[in-house]
Amino acid sequence: MIRLALIGQAKAAKSYGAIRTRLHRAVWAAFVPLTASDGQAGQALGQVTTAPSTEVLFTEQANDFDAVVIDADPGQAAVLAKAAAAGKPALASPLLADIAALGQADTMLMPAHTWRFLPSIQAVKRSLDAGKLGAPGLLRIHRWLPPEATPESLTERILPDADLACWMFGGAPEKVWTLLTPSNPDYIQFHLGFANGGMAMIDIACSLPAGGDYFSLSITGGTGAAYADDHHNMNLLYAGDQPNALRASQGHTDLAGQLQEFVDAIHEQRQATVLLKDAMRAIAVTEQIIESASSNHVIEQKENS
Amino acid sequence: MADLRKKFRVAVLSVVKHDYLPHAVAAHPRFELVVVTDDADQPDWVHERNQRFADEFGISYLRDIAKAIAEYELDMAVVSSEAERHCDLAVRAADAGLHVIADKPMSTRLSECDRLVEAVQRNNVKFLLWNRNFLPAVIQAKEVIQSGAIGELHAIHVDFYFSKDAGPPKGTRQLGDPPINWLERQLKAHADGSDGGVGIEAMGELQIEGIYPLAYIRMLANANVRRVFARTARHFHQVNVDNHVDDLASVSLELDNGTVGSLCIGRTGAASHPDIGEIKIHAIGSKGGIVITEARPEVSIHYRDQPPLEFKNERIANENDFLLMDDFARALDTGCEPILNAKGGRDIAATVFAAVESGKTGQPVEVTH
Repeated sequence: MIRLALIGQAKAAKSYGAIRTRLHRAVWAAFVPLTASDGQAGQALGQVTTAPSTEVLFTEQANDFDAVVIDADPGQAAVLAKAAAAGKPALASPLLADIAALGQADTMLMPAHTWRFLPSIQAVKRSLDAGKLGAPGLLRIHRWLPPEATPESLTERILPDADLACWMFGGAPEKVWTLLTPSNPDYIQFHLGFANGGMAMIDIACSLPAGGDYFSLSITGGTGAAYADDHHNMNLLYAGDQPNALRASQGHTDLAGQLQEFVDAIHEQRQATVLLKDAMRAIAVTEQIIESASSNHVIEQKENS
Repeated sequence: MADLRKKFRVAVLSVVKHDYLPHAVAAHPRFELVVVTDDADQPDWVHERNQRFADEFGISYLRDIAKAIAEYELDMAVVSSEAERHCDLAVRAADAGLHVIADKPMSTRLSECDRLVEAVQRNNVKFLLWNRNFLPAVIQAKEVIQSGAIGELHAIHVDFYFSKDAGPPKGTRQLGDPPINWLERQLKAHADGSDGGVGIEAMGELQIEGIYPLAYIRMLANANVRRVFARTARHFHQVNVDNHVDDLASVSLELDNGTVGSLCIGRTGAASHPDIGEIKIHAIGSKGGIVITEARPEVSIHYRDQPPLEFKNERIANENDFLLMDDFARALDTGCEPILNAKGGRDIAATVFAAVESGKTGQPVEVTH
């Protein structure tokens, strides 16, 4: 049984607590709140010890856990560095630290690409990997967010879909073209050209009013197509005036799937399905997307990573 | 005051493609097909199709356009020829003082589009480029955007995939086999109505169908495209590979009012969708967004022994043809411009040509207006 420690806010403890009974071969053992007021939040994870700081966790309580899940803001890089120094496998945001440097450490680090573990995305990727769709030709993503779901930085907004595109096409794009108008900073659109004529067209808008978000992904291959589209998954609520659309929920399956993959990789002493190089590639493409926006030029990649 | 009982006398100037256009004209009570005509020097297959259509309507087929114009007291012409002849026939009709409706695409050359715009203006006639802007879902999108429900429009996107096959799949040509001839393939495709690109000059999907989604964008954003960046590919069909034209494309759009957008378009193969294809409009504004499926309203019909290629969802309440003709009748009655006139069609064609160029160069291309 692998003992897990969580470093994060109360919200993270609550999210992981909600899926704790689904976890195989692992149990929560420790919690480090990132803010003092979250001290009681560890109760959501079950019977865990709460450490007052990451310093204490990695020194005095280092024998009480086997691996660490870090759910922290990108600025809190030191946390991940400590995990690496302590030799503990870590599941952490790809933007948490200088991930390239951490890749040199002899510690398993699984970047948290939770978006890959959505059941809808997994189904699309499975059909692609099984060859049902043929060679991928065009990936289309629309992601619209309300304020409460909008990440602070442009990098955080772009990274998930840049990663999805690279993942689906199995490499980094050769060309990057971005539309971002200064008068409308809530919107970005990027156009990626992959090898063999592959292409991705992605728009991210953060101007929805408070409430639900919207996500649509379709991929068209040489022999078929897959559509993971919120529009297809809406039910209707009638409560006066026009009916309201209710999206059928995919639950917490993405978080549970990602955590289980982390645990299984440790247990089976293998690489996780999300690698450091995936995160590094997505970060590099994200930087190119932003560079294209600021330079108003097509960014061309010399070598395919 | 216009005479609303007047019936407009219409000549069909070549009808070699799927004949939805002259059928739509004939179905409207204000229009009457009176003759089919074409140039005598056209190949036999053109004359055969023209004659068949004339026979269907019990009207004459004249292999002499000037004679038909002189003898039939015409008000207008409907052009449904090969794409490369669209503008020339339309210009000749306009020069004879006839109003014109032409099938898409407007032309295979922008210079021809410019010639048509000039002829329409010089002769003070009306011109309608066939489009789908009156589909129920498109009308709904327009109403929502114009109502201000999503605020100021920031971006508009259209996915426009036709899940039709186009002959043998890519990669199936055997060593030593000749490349597929474009026209021969289009002539064969006439049987199942997938001959949208009929003509001698090969056209990619952007050129053949791009007018439809770009007309949505132009109408909904009320602006022209200023600059494009495109990625094009030959991904599905051997005929596209052999003739060096795209069957899949994505285009980033910058409009002249500051709106941005995109178009994703392809002839994605019959296996890619249960119906005619995924066709959607996404519009995002300062106060919200709207997602529209172009096919709606529709009904689903499933039954035992259903042919595999029969669409399982059937579009209903589609009055696009009638409303286009009603709109054109209004233009003729009142002098107003139809929903997509010659200049609008030309500007869309310019966007298409710029996208094709961008697909080749890999760089953004300014659209000439």
